[in-house]
Amino acid sequence: MVVVLVFLPLLVELLGVLLPAILGVGISLSRWNGLGSPEFVGFANYALMVEDPVFSVALGNTAIWLLLFGTFSYVLGLAVALLLQADRRGVGVYRTIIFLPVVFSSVVTALIWTSFFQPDGLVNWLLEALGLGEYARAWLGDPDTVLYAVVVAALWRQVGYVMVLFLAGLKSIDPHLIEAARVDGANAWQRLRFVVLPQLRNVNMVVISVIIIDALRSFDIVWGMTRGGPFNSSELLSTYMFVAAFGQRALGYGSAIGVVILVLALGFIITYLSRALREEKES
Amino acid sequence: MSIQLLKGCFDRGQDNRYCNPQNTDQEKVNKSMKTSPVRRHRLVKALGISVTLSLFAVVSGCATTPAAEPEGGGEITVQGAFSGAEADGLAAAVEAFNALGEGTVEIDSISAQQQREQIATSLSAPNPPDVLTWFAGKATRDFADEGLLLDLSDVWTESLSDFSPALRDLSTNSEGQQVFVPTQNYWWGIYYKKSEFEANGWEIPADWDSFLALLQEVKDSGQIPLGIPLGDSPWTASAWFDYLNSRINGGPSHLGLLAGDTSFDSPAVSDVMDAYADVLPYFDPDAAGVTFPQFTSDFAEGKTAMALMGAFWQAGLPEDTQSDLAFFQFPTIDPSIPVVEEAPTNGLLVSVNSDNPTLAKKFVAFVASPEGQALLLSSSTGALGTNPTTTRELSDLETQGLDMLQSAAQLTQFFNRDGGEALQPTADSALVRFFFAPGEVDQILVDWQAAAERARAL
Repeated sequence: MVVVLVFLPLLVELLGVLLPAILGVGISLSRWNGLGSPEFVGFANYALMVEDPVFSVALGNTAIWLLLFGTFSYVLGLAVALLLQADRRGVGVYRTIIFLPVVFSSVVTALIWTSFFQPDGLVNWLLEALGLGEYARAWLGDPDTVLYAVVVAALWRQVGYVMVLFLAGLKSIDPHLIEAARVDGANAWQRLRFVVLPQLRNVNMVVISVIIIDALRSFDIVWGMTRGGPFNSSELLSTYMFVAAFGQRALGYGSAIGVVILVLALGFIITYLSRALREEKES
Repeated sequence: MSIQLLKGCFDRGQDNRYCNPQNTDQEKVNKSMKTSPVRRHRLVKALGISVTLSLFAVVSGCATTPAAEPEGGGEITVQGAFSGAEADGLAAAVEAFNALGEGTVEIDSISAQQQREQIATSLSAPNPPDVLTWFAGKATRDFADEGLLLDLSDVWTESLSDFSPALRDLSTNSEGQQVFVPTQNYWWGIYYKKSEFEANGWEIPADWDSFLALLQEVKDSGQIPLGIPLGDSPWTASAWFDYLNSRINGGPSHLGLLAGDTSFDSPAVSDVMDAYADVLPYFDPDAAGVTFPQFTSDFAEGKTAMALMGAFWQAGLPEDTQSDLAFFQFPTIDPSIPVVEEAPTNGLLVSVNSDNPTLAKKFVAFVASPEGQALLLSSSTGALGTNPTTTRELSDLETQGLDMLQSAAQLTQFFNRDGGEALQPTADSALVRFFFAPGEVDQILVDWQAAAERARAL
């Protein structure tokens, strides 16, 4: 009976997750426009990818995205969680406000933020109201600023999610440890560095994995706001994969880009998790 | 594992000592996990059964039994990707056809984007929709070459013999058979507001030089001469490219370029980009950040004076702007070149795997007939029927558009429909980059040709 119960979910996982992934790798080795059957071409798609300037731009943008999105969502999420961890009266309101963006549909978020960033939108209006009118510009139209503008919109949503994860982790810290540290004369910063942060190691594993996956998976916000931006300035690997697979109907090439995303994600996560688990084992 | 422990802690508060990862007594934790084995067992069993059942349901749903082919009568499905007024028109045409008693037609509505993504799989499935709305051009030729479309030559000979030769050519596959029935098309023109032009004394330009002079006049008056929504619709830049190329190098040369016969990195295209550079200063400088709705409201509010747009745009403008709307033909650059107009054509195709080809053919013939087209376009503005005999009353703009298209020597379908979907992103990249850096035009054309070759190799 136990064998059957273990086998069934395994079957679902194999058929639903592993099989499509393997098929996807298979399609990346072929040329296919969706009609008829795929034509095996070996590594031709990967060879094309190496020479493709749009792919290099997308890769670079994805690296910048990973860095900015990852760092800021972690730092801001942690900061907000630390600020709002005490169960004071009314703190629930703040937590809800910060978490609310997570609930909204990302397409709706993209549309609203696009309207904010229009030349006569909210952002420019605010800048002018604060006397910083010289910084007003077409945020989504300028190739130098578009990626950062989209990151702001994505962070607006992600911070709430990371905050909730950290709140859960902070709640699990034994208050006696913090009390003991305070009695020993540690100030707030030292308590944070030597007591709170080490206790958050388990949560860190989850948070960082989630952030990496979300960063590499970011598609809807970018697509909704700029469709890859003025001539690929905000093109990420995920949007380029979509354009190649469904816009240009080059499903083999799109799958190849998907494989690259998978390798990147696995690479980061496996490296991080193995290090973190090894550390936990040692401690 | 961590999340579940932490979640439990979040619920139970901080006093549960199992919440502290450092002090976890592994055995005690294991024991607490095993406290209700029977309940857990039953839960997993229920999950397993429901998963198996749902898998069976999915598998059995996929197995379809082929229907017997009926003799005339019967039922067909039309996959329609229309929205708004056109969807109402299609519903009206279907209702009228069903009332004729020859058979029943059902509409399956999906969004245009969804249809674009799914049509390849729809047509090659064993149970495809019988009739589909689609576009003329390479988009149809690709499916025709794969043998997915039913030969409709007999429909053409019987019912559509008076259609223009340009439309007939558009609907013919590489073997000389007609595989497409065009039902409507629309024109492209440079739209402006009559009241603005009257108030400022501006005149409709007769040729390219007077057009540039007009643009300068508008700019001097303080208004932005040309709007374009490059923010979310970079394909609108291809309209300017298509027209400039057709006006400078001619229609056949333009289609040849899109088909890959000539290179983007050629003197012919350089000439086109030189002309494009002449108009570049007159565009909205923030255009790359402007979305389509923003561009529409900028025009309606008078921030921009003119826009090169298709007639589909008319319906999206506010009522008072619509009554003030007018357009002129894209100015001639070289009088010796025959006039080419963009007239993206929509129509119907029939899947080769259709169960009821007889009824499908009757239906497409009906929609292409004068009565069918009158119904189809009953609530549309800015769409023209393809049947030369029309019982519809046309508005002033539609009459103007129809005259313009009928006097054109050749009709093209727009960049993505002529050159293929794979080519459109390369144009978007190149033309928006040109917008930012017109000085880099030589490098842009070299990169565009490389990208086009890559897109064709994909």
